[in-house]
Amino acid sequence: MVMKRRDFIRGTAALGAVSTIAAPQLWFKNSGLARAQNGEIKVGVLFSLTGTTGIIEESLNKATILAIEEINAAGGINGMQIVPVVEDPASDPATFAEKARKLVMSDGCVSVFGSYTSASRKAVLPVFEKRENLYWYPTLYEGRECSKNVIYTGAVPNQQQDEFIPWLVQNFGKKFFLIGSNYIYPQEENNYCKKLLEGLGAEVVNEEYVPLGHSEFSSVISKIKSTEPNVIFSTVVGDSVVALHRQYLAAGLDPAKMPMASLTTSENEVAAMGGEAAAGHFTSAPYFMVHKSPENEKFVSAYQARWGADKVTHFVSEPSYFQVYLFKQAVEKLAASDITPPTIREAVKGAEMIAPQGKIRIEKDNLHTWLWPKIAVAKADGQFEVLVDSKEWLAPDPYAAYPDQKCVEAGLTNI
Amino acid sequence: MFDSSAHANPTRNRNRLQLALYLAFCVAIFAVPLFIDDDFLLNRYARYLVLGMVAMALSLSWGYAGILNLGQALSFGLGSYAMAMTLKLKTVPIHTGPDGLPDFMVWNNVETLPWFWVPYQSTAFAIFAGVAVPWALAAILGWFMFRGRITGVFVAIITLAILVVANLLVIDQQRYTGGFNGITDLAQLEILGLEFDAYSKSTYFLVASCLSVCLLGALAITRSKAGLIFQAIRDQEERVRFFGYDVAAYKIMAMSISAAIAGLAGMLYTVVMEFASPTFMDVPLSLSIVIWCAVGGRQSLLGATIGAIVVAGMQGALSESETFLDTWMLVMGLIFVLVVLFLPNGLAGLLDMAGRRLMRRPGALAGGPAPAKGLSGQKAKDQT
Repeated sequence: MVMKRRDFIRGTAALGAVSTIAAPQLWFKNSGLARAQNGEIKVGVLFSLTGTTGIIEESLNKATILAIEEINAAGGINGMQIVPVVEDPASDPATFAEKARKLVMSDGCVSVFGSYTSASRKAVLPVFEKRENLYWYPTLYEGRECSKNVIYTGAVPNQQQDEFIPWLVQNFGKKFFLIGSNYIYPQEENNYCKKLLEGLGAEVVNEEYVPLGHSEFSSVISKIKSTEPNVIFSTVVGDSVVALHRQYLAAGLDPAKMPMASLTTSENEVAAMGGEAAAGHFTSAPYFMVHKSPENEKFVSAYQARWGADKVTHFVSEPSYFQVYLFKQAVEKLAASDITPPTIREAVKGAEMIAPQGKIRIEKDNLHTWLWPKIAVAKADGQFEVLVDSKEWLAPDPYAAYPDQKCVEAGLTNI
Repeated sequence: MFDSSAHANPTRNRNRLQLALYLAFCVAIFAVPLFIDDDFLLNRYARYLVLGMVAMALSLSWGYAGILNLGQALSFGLGSYAMAMTLKLKTVPIHTGPDGLPDFMVWNNVETLPWFWVPYQSTAFAIFAGVAVPWALAAILGWFMFRGRITGVFVAIITLAILVVANLLVIDQQRYTGGFNGITDLAQLEILGLEFDAYSKSTYFLVASCLSVCLLGALAITRSKAGLIFQAIRDQEERVRFFGYDVAAYKIMAMSISAAIAGLAGMLYTVVMEFASPTFMDVPLSLSIVIWCAVGGRQSLLGATIGAIVVAGMQGALSESETFLDTWMLVMGLIFVLVVLFLPNGLAGLLDMAGRRLMRRPGALAGGPAPAKGLSGQKAKDQT
């Protein structure tokens, strides 16, 4: 290779520029910080801002930051400010694991708020368990987890289905078509759904799984047409929700006769598909943006004032918001010298607060949350109308589909 | 065939300098724990070293034999899953089904351990499989491609397509693979009573040792007769064929050795990360490996290794600095563009330029360092 002096200088300059950016953070790390020092409490915020789930996770990041800012503006926790350390795990499980380790082991955070997908929660779990730290997970998920290092503030299958399935059978009929994305969450929801349907004497006419991100539903639509179910029970996620609804509309099917009943369609997905495609279909969740309560009005108006009037709140961003207040409530009980993840966990057991969806409680046995199931129908204007508002809050049972196992305070036990 | 006396002194000096650099790198990575006593950083650097290892493996097939294997992440992922399977079978019994059936199989209503999981109850088998399966797969694939004289961009397309198929299969067959979530909740690796906790010096040293052995082993291969033929194939395949060499056999060899090293790296990745995920055998990772190689200098094993470490390190540092939280991807892109424009041979190319300038001064390297002994030993072996 012929080398010119100019090439060499250019190359050196490029390398120099590269290394100046990289070097300081790469080699000098402050480690071993005290947990609550200088009147500050460090917490991690671990939602993807880039990558495939970046859009939805950004809304969770925003809800979390809003809550932290509100608490700090109101004087913090016992006079101490919450300092959020925000990381971008880029929708990649390996990066999730790496950033979680940084937050727990290097930054000295006493808790981390994070994750949308189960895959990312599973990826970060080892460090929280080995280092006795605390992860706050706001998303509805498939259950069957009994970690002592995770506070689960989203719904588990029994909280979304116990009211929903009997209501659907009663109002529409006994023939169910199950459609889901092919991963563990829809499989588990359907395992539980089939259990409920069996008890109600209803039948499953077809059970279908499509790959994640799938957007071509014509064969599914024709199966729906030929099996003529009363209800299409949908646990497809992400962009597939949008495609399925649009193709359902284009095929000329009628939501009044054969509605889709979803556990995953929120205001966020409705905004992406347009109100017309969503109208007439049902969702079961503990929270809808239109829910009427003073706490929710305050949350929605604060959220839109902070992040933009066109932004929606939904059933994952609401737990992202209230779980920071639960954290505050737990830390308030502790002396400044005693703020560690295990003491926070003990303090949060049985804690209650009024969330936008209603009064919630952390179950001391399994660290999941007592929630208020609701059934709502999507409207053409992009919002939902709540049809059934549960009269009682519902206890979380992450092992509902597995009667021989139970999650108790000591850990998972066989019965 | 290979006669060192036929080479002029500068070549020998260059070789000695190169070996000295490689050895210095190995000593340096072993010295890191002496200066850093932070579990988090050791774990992070161990991860970077693993990525360096898989980039080095690609450099062997791409930089030396001209085989652009865009499916490098497949070998990596297969190794990673082999390790995860054996560690999964050793987890706490309460979290598994009857007879230690992995939890995700219970969720998917699988009742007995599938036959291809059974041998993974032995860690020794898993370690063997983590290297042998990628090696065999690459050899079979290479046999079909190179016997059919498929070259250049078509190799890249085929390997990429196989990677995509394998990735879809792993996600789809979740009852046997854990699907989208991968294989999580693993036991700790234990070999002969030694425990490898992901955040310990023992794991760091395990990774550093494997990397050093593979790096020096690969260097020996590139300096052997076979290594020279690899490079000749890369530069002018037809000519090598007319000389009577079995080009396909050499290409299969390059690709399968590279795959075996990537498989080993994948196994270490599971130990360091404490889970296996389909993203470990995904297209973005595979393309990243190519980028690391290009940034470091694909025609240098050490360059590719360092390229991966530098890029992964920068990615971590940039995304963690508050200034770049929203723009770190843009900055990374900009850096890649700069490297491609101004450093077509990567960081190693830059070093090479510097080295040549130094060499031009007479006697600059007179009295080469002692480690050249290993090199001449290698040559002696080749001559026999």
